[in-house]
Amino acid sequence: MANAVTTSGSEDSPQKSRLQGLGQMFGLPLLALFTAFLFGALLIWITSGSLNTVFEAYRGLIRGAFFKERGLSETLVATIPYVFLALGVAVGFKSGLFNIGVEGQFYIGAVSAAWVGQLTNSLPAFIHLPLALAAGALGGAVWAAIPGYLKAKTGAHEVINTIMMNYIAFRLTELLISGPLRDPNASAVQTSRVSPNAELWTLYAIPERLQNPLNALLAAVALGVSAWFITHLIVRSRPGGTDTTRRGLRSPQTLPWIIGGVVALLTFFLLPPLTQAWWPFQDPYDRLHIGLFMAVMTAIGVWWLLQQTTLGFSLRTVGANPSAAKYAGINISRNIVTAMAISGALAGLAGTIEVLGVSICRCLPLFFSSGYGFDSIAIALLGKNNPFGILISAFLFGAMRNGADTMELYSGVSKYVITIIQALVLLFVAAPPIIRWMYRIKPPEDAAAEAPLTRGWGG
Amino acid sequence: MTTATRTLSNQTSRWRGRWWVNALFGLFALVFGWFLLNVIIGGQCDAKCVEGTLSQTLRVATPIAFAALCGLICERSGIVNIGIEGQMLMAAMVCYGVNLFSFQAMQGPLGPETAGQVSRWLAMGAGMLGALALGMLHSVVSIKFKTDQIISGTVVNMLSLGITGYMYRQFLAENIPAGPGTFPTMPIPGLSQIPIIGSVLFQQKPLVYIMLIVVIVAQFSLFYTRWGLRTRAVGEHPRAADTLGVNVYRTRYTAVWIGSLIAGLGGAWFTLEAVDVFNPGMTNGLGFIGLAAMIFGKWMPFGALLGALIFGLGSSVTTTISIFRPDIPSQIPQMLPYILTMAVLAGVMGRATPPAADGQPYEK
Repeated sequence: MANAVTTSGSEDSPQKSRLQGLGQMFGLPLLALFTAFLFGALLIWITSGSLNTVFEAYRGLIRGAFFKERGLSETLVATIPYVFLALGVAVGFKSGLFNIGVEGQFYIGAVSAAWVGQLTNSLPAFIHLPLALAAGALGGAVWAAIPGYLKAKTGAHEVINTIMMNYIAFRLTELLISGPLRDPNASAVQTSRVSPNAELWTLYAIPERLQNPLNALLAAVALGVSAWFITHLIVRSRPGGTDTTRRGLRSPQTLPWIIGGVVALLTFFLLPPLTQAWWPFQDPYDRLHIGLFMAVMTAIGVWWLLQQTTLGFSLRTVGANPSAAKYAGINISRNIVTAMAISGALAGLAGTIEVLGVSICRCLPLFFSSGYGFDSIAIALLGKNNPFGILISAFLFGAMRNGADTMELYSGVSKYVITIIQALVLLFVAAPPIIRWMYRIKPPEDAAAEAPLTRGWGG
Repeated sequence: MTTATRTLSNQTSRWRGRWWVNALFGLFALVFGWFLLNVIIGGQCDAKCVEGTLSQTLRVATPIAFAALCGLICERSGIVNIGIEGQMLMAAMVCYGVNLFSFQAMQGPLGPETAGQVSRWLAMGAGMLGALALGMLHSVVSIKFKTDQIISGTVVNMLSLGITGYMYRQFLAENIPAGPGTFPTMPIPGLSQIPIIGSVLFQQKPLVYIMLIVVIVAQFSLFYTRWGLRTRAVGEHPRAADTLGVNVYRTRYTAVWIGSLIAGLGGAWFTLEAVDVFNPGMTNGLGFIGLAAMIFGKWMPFGALLGALIFGLGSSVTTTISIFRPDIPSQIPQMLPYILTMAVLAGVMGRATPPAADGQPYEK
């Protein structure tokens, strides 16, 4: 809603407004980040008593995040679940809901995927991988839809209920892992290893995987559909893109199909031999996996859902002004449940990816702790609830998360300092007046557009 | 529920909402619960077991009641505070640290006995100040900067998680000196000799008594003093209160700060009464359960206490069950209080009305 106001309000001078827009989009978040790190430095300085520790800590952080062996790829590995979780939180915010329970939905998604993933070893990846992903998403969706339903029907606030659902999810996963889903052959308490066919492919393994024609087919379908989707979006955004009377190969109706088909065919026939001949990812210990591609596509998909579809419009309307939405005939209860379900499905996917792509044992161990939950709220707000902003801020938080261990190792500064910095980022991003007050920046004319994101108990 | 159906249900059910009907229902539920408990554990819950369960109920209800009171006082003035969890965690950490190190410093000159007493009370005060610091942040961010109060509360929670974890790792995890431990039980002379009631109500540690006193004081001062009237007015209709000369901002600051001190007492319970260790994240959602108790109690101190007692009962019954029935996986009873919270919220929410200006920043 804030974006709409900004663009429509300053159409008279496009050059200036674009610069202003860029400044508004990146200026405050960057200042917020900078200030948060400044406070973090202050804290380290005070508690350790030496300025040197501050530099060492931050040097370790940057080194761990980007420059140590596999640093960048581990950062991306940490980024992937952040993207999904923050997208989930953002869908909630856009619909006027504060889904603080993504952590619980993450757990339920993970345990659902772990269950479906280990059911059988005989299904081909073509079926098993999508099935496991769907199970994870469904688990998260159901888990989030419960508080959504309670909010819609009884008015019980989703903040308390999603947090309660978090604790229930922790206990439930513990129960399932140590009980019915426990791997009888493993010494540690964990679920059975998922079928190799349900695993998310690491980039290293792609050439080998593609040798199986069924896997190549899966890749062809995935890439083909993505190509179709992106072409579709690009074509529609151009002038005349929604013109249904045009005919011919380059018409808005046919072009996506042609490009999608070509990409699918090329993937199926050319990619397997090509990757066999040359492939940049030769490190067998590199954990980076195709979830990265999924994350980017999901971000585009969420943007499309929120900005280009009727459902997205009604979700945003309910979020911006429930009374107006009700007056316009939008079913608020159904929208709340739908928004929570979508939000939870995204969070569940994050958990699924953790099991199918990241965990070393390709399973769910007992007492596995993600700690992604609160971070993803900060990521969503830092990215201003915009899917592409979220991609950037998730990368940033992934880097911090990944660098934290190296920081602790090199400087002895506890990695909890990262949590403090992240909390401060959230504070400064959520409250632009604080940053403006600190740096004596004048508020923009449409400061009122920075409306509250959530609503009190009554809403 | 629409207005029409609400009036209708009011006309048809003459008995609903009368306090003695509710009390009767409560008593019936208690007896029924006791029977159910006997069935689950196989008929072993005798008088001693009941006594233990009830006394445990009051103990567990203490931090929940403090949290609920904190939320209640904040919200009566129109500020939603979901950072109570973080405030309690911070207080728990500060109490633990101050208790340890002040005991260390005073042990020599005062002797272990006196030093223990002094350092525990000192720690409680310090913990309240720790919670107050976070409360000040929350109040400034949400009153002066008019930020979304739910997000501001989340910041408080996150910040507290980070700060307590950081302090724990840097100073409290290794090489810590021996501390004076938690408060000893303080039986009240005379009263503690009464059978059952005496051991449940009057053989507790000090924070339980403080909680009961704070509840009574809060109920009285919210509804029978000038301060309470002003606070409630600011929470219901700040514009009107402002017109009549009440300083809205100052009233809200005061309410949040008083609430924070109370949350600090709740945090002190964790490390000064319950256990003699601090763990990161040890508050385990009790702050949020406190908010649910507050809603259950319809934003009234006595009601909030009742809500806290119900959650305490749920939690202590699960403890009893897990003692008698080790074959039931411990996770099942552990889930119970959270499910109870959700059920209570769903059942009560439609009928309880929050203060009208709850969560809305005031623009002068």
